[in-house]
Amino acid sequence: MSTKGAPLKGLLLVVLLVSHMLLTKEGVTSLPICPSGSVSCQLSLEELFDRAVKLSHYIHFLSSEMFNEFDERYAQGRGFIAKAVNSCHTASLTTPEDKEQAQQIHHEDLLNLILGVLRSWNDPLIHLASEVQRIKEAPETILSKAVEIEEQNKRLQEGMEKIVGRVHSGEVGNDIYTPWDGLPSLQLADEDSRLFAFYNLLHCLRRDSHKIDNYLKVLKCRLIHDNNC
Amino acid sequence: DLLHWPQISKCRSPEMETFSCYWTAGNFYNLTAPRIIQLLYKKSNEEDWKECPDYITSGQNSCYFNASYTSVWTPYCVQLASKNEVYDKKCFSVDEIVLPDPPVHLNWTLLNTSQTGIHGDIQVRWDPPPTADVRKGWITLEYELQYKEVNETKWKELKPRLSTMVPLYSLKTARDYEIRIRSRQRTSEKFGEFSEILYVSFSQIGIGCDHCTEEVEFPWFLVVVFGVCGLAVTVISIMLSKQPRLKMLIFPPVPVPKIKGIDPDLLKKGKLDEVNSILACHDNYKTQLYNDDLWVEFIELDIEDPDEKNRASDTDRLLSEDHLKSHGCLGVKDDDSGRASCCEPDIPETDFSASDTCDATSDSDQFKKAAEKEEDLLCLDRQDNDESLPSLANTDPQRQHRNPQSENSHPWAAFADSVESPRPSVHTQISNQNSLTSTDFYAQVSDITPAGRVVLSPGQKSKLGRAQHEGCTEQNFTMDNTYFCEADVKKCIAVTSHEENEPHVQEQSYNEDGYFTTESLTTTVANFGASTAEPPSSEMPVADYTSIHIVHSPQGLVLNATALPVPDKEFNVSCGYVSTDQLNKIMP
Repeated sequence: MSTKGAPLKGLLLVVLLVSHMLLTKEGVTSLPICPSGSVSCQLSLEELFDRAVKLSHYIHFLSSEMFNEFDERYAQGRGFIAKAVNSCHTASLTTPEDKEQAQQIHHEDLLNLILGVLRSWNDPLIHLASEVQRIKEAPETILSKAVEIEEQNKRLQEGMEKIVGRVHSGEVGNDIYTPWDGLPSLQLADEDSRLFAFYNLLHCLRRDSHKIDNYLKVLKCRLIHDNNC
Repeated sequence: DLLHWPQISKCRSPEMETFSCYWTAGNFYNLTAPRIIQLLYKKSNEEDWKECPDYITSGQNSCYFNASYTSVWTPYCVQLASKNEVYDKKCFSVDEIVLPDPPVHLNWTLLNTSQTGIHGDIQVRWDPPPTADVRKGWITLEYELQYKEVNETKWKELKPRLSTMVPLYSLKTARDYEIRIRSRQRTSEKFGEFSEILYVSFSQIGIGCDHCTEEVEFPWFLVVVFGVCGLAVTVISIMLSKQPRLKMLIFPPVPVPKIKGIDPDLLKKGKLDEVNSILACHDNYKTQLYNDDLWVEFIELDIEDPDEKNRASDTDRLLSEDHLKSHGCLGVKDDDSGRASCCEPDIPETDFSASDTCDATSDSDQFKKAAEKEEDLLCLDRQDNDESLPSLANTDPQRQHRNPQSENSHPWAAFADSVESPRPSVHTQISNQNSLTSTDFYAQVSDITPAGRVVLSPGQKSKLGRAQHEGCTEQNFTMDNTYFCEADVKKCIAVTSHEENEPHVQEQSYNEDGYFTTESLTTTVANFGASTAEPPSSEMPVADYTSIHIVHSPQGLVLNATALPVPDKEFNVSCGYVSTDQLNKIMP
């Protein structure tokens, strides 16, 4: 068996690898310039921002899709959107709400804000990934996206901390953070209320990921390309 | 006429800095006294509804919110109302309603033309919509270009992209083309409006090739290429199909009930062979199974000197530790499937990949061979009309049988590795037995308790077997002859309740009933119980014979040092009881 099956298995393996490569999502599997663990290798700030923007875009993309899927599957006919003048747990953080404010805020403050928002989502994302499994007949796609978002969120935080380390002249502020207390609402017994809680959370996630994506792009254009993207 | 209420048709932000809402007035207006329609809005954190700040800038039936009124990620609600009536309501946030303006300043340049001049490549360029602040990164746009020949109806689309230029290849220079572009925010799904159409005409720059002949359209080349490829694929697949491997790869064999190491055909035939096979997990049997010649030889020898030969082989088998190790088959396998006959249910009969227990390939082969045999190994005696029980007696003449068996011990040992290690007590017993190999003894099952315990009596030549054919009740279950083949048992059962006389292995595959119909045994035991309630004789050293406490593990045999016939009424149906023959063989 071994001799005869080996070339066949090898061929299958190659086919699988190639197809995996072709199907991989754009923007996530960029080749590392710096092999992990190397101390002396220094990525340029431009490269760091590029990666951060890619990650943030990917996270927002996943959040959008996840929200759309959830909306399609669970929210139809329940009137969630009418109720969804929702407030997200990150609303307490004062973030720029239009272009003027985004232009005026200092880049260090904006970086800290971004980090704060990312940190505030650590907890909800973990619980989202675990609680979404309890939804009746949760599609695998939603679940896998939740897990993926949580993972990418961590990576983005690491990247942001690196950027902040490079850009900051002073201390890195660790204090921007909003706790999340929405876990009980994700575990409500009443299915409607529970689904509404999920809807809210996913809506907030989409919004916040869009915010972060935008802020990072603004910063990138400001710091790297001198407002001339 | 249907009555149309005023309705908010859409709200849109072209650049994520301002937004406008549009509505339709409906024909309600005309029918009654003119009412004033208002658009009220409210941010999520506010209580009061406010009125639209600008009804004019965006046109009629619209409301324009300039930058000072726009907060991007804040939820808004707008409602269309008159004095006391709400017609429509919408809630959204500005980042969700971004629909950019179309790109501007489309132009094209020629990249190159083909040698024949029939085709040409162009590069199309454009600028982002002026309202969108792409430079500062406030909004990121992607663009979709569509083009077609002037007299066509269907537009060809290119994939959306971020850059503001794109090449178009292989356009026919003889034709004119139309190009249009639209944009959307990068993570949205909806596109904005199309730009103005760009006309591409090669003749204008003097490259048009009106007199060029049309190229032949029929793709001969493609036909040939695909034909050859298809043929090659077919040929290869035909070639490959001869290989059973590939066939198995593509069409994996449907799992059928099978016992590891035993050919399902055996099961079909319903011979005791199956049992043998299972038992064949042990070395002894393996030897027998492997080698037809050996088997034949064995049979012959048996005819000559049945007792001697049998005993020797049996003894050896029993004594050999490998029996126990490879006892994965014998052992009661705690199989949830309920089919837990002794052996591992997975026999790779067609699949020659090694199975875990009851060593795969060679075993299965051997099993097959063994299965073929009419006589079940256990009841080898039977053929001799003598002992139905292959005795454990080790005699030299038996050595030859022994040898193959010892050889087989290795494969069996292989099994052994995969199966649980046998109970220590068994080993002890076995080792004891090994030392006694030279002694002429074999364990006879003097009694089988319903609990699955086999009470072994000192081995002595027994004139079992044939005598038992007559019927259960007639059998004389003395200590000497308390060995009975499964076949015999079955016969007994047949007499009582079942049909067949013959040593059939259960036709079923290894299920509860399968192996050695414990029920049948129970019946048998019940029948015999009274008569054969002899305790293991004191003749034998106690250590030699023990009652087998059948356990469910594959290794199953736990030998109790004390051989007490304890007639429990419960049988381990799940693993069945191995026929006494086998037990004997297994037993030290």
